[in-house]
Amino acid sequence: MIPAIGASLPRIQTGSVDAGLATTGATAAPQGAGADFSAVLSQIAKDAVTTVQSAEATSIRGINGQATTQAVVEAVMEAERTLQTAVSIRDKAVSAYMELSRMAI
Amino acid sequence: MADPLLSSLKIAASGLQAQSTRMRIVSENIANAQTTGTTPGSDPYQRKMVSFQSELDRVSGAQMVSVDKVGRDDTPFILESDPGNPAANADGYVKMPNVRMLVEMADMREANRSYEANIQVVKQAREIINMTIDLLRS
Repeated sequence: MIPAIGASLPRIQTGSVDAGLATTGATAAPQGAGADFSAVLSQIAKDAVTTVQSAEATSIRGINGQATTQAVVEAVMEAERTLQTAVSIRDKAVSAYMELSRMAI
Repeated sequence: MADPLLSSLKIAASGLQAQSTRMRIVSENIANAQTTGTTPGSDPYQRKMVSFQSELDRVSGAQMVSVDKVGRDDTPFILESDPGNPAANADGYVKMPNVRMLVEMADMREANRSYEANIQVVKQAREIINMTIDLLRS
């Protein structure tokens, strides 16, 4: 479910949007920033996957009695927080692209 | 510099851990309140006490808490006259553990209260973090 966040965003092709804007000649810096932003997004998605996986591992160790209740709760809460942040940032990015696509030309 | 809110969560978690250890020691004391020695005149279970120390988390620079050591209570054992007991000495006295129920109950209640306080810190920090993330929505 989470890879979809990272996988879908690059497919929006920020490059073409930036390239179109670049013809105005004033968007050299935003082009670099756009590339960075998608890198940041995929990094966030990767981090979210890692956090959720470690939370799952800790939960399983908790069920087996190897991890304390506090450790399990902490790991799951961290996963929840990471996921929430990732989803919020994705929503924000998607709404920005929607805004662009509705722009009157 | 690590996020202070995330540090609060970690510090509170270390507090929870420390108080659980304290709770464990209290339950050991209560469970062994009647544990005598096995040979005549031998020492019974000695009450345990837990002490905490602050510990610097090098990643975030936060002061966590951890269990320093589990020490032994050196107050004298209680002597009870029970000549039939296998642990009785030549005079018929048995050494009983130096565990006093009232003290253990007070200690348990204090551990409970500290645990609650740390839980409250976790709740508050989480609420603040969620409020901040919610700024992205709307």
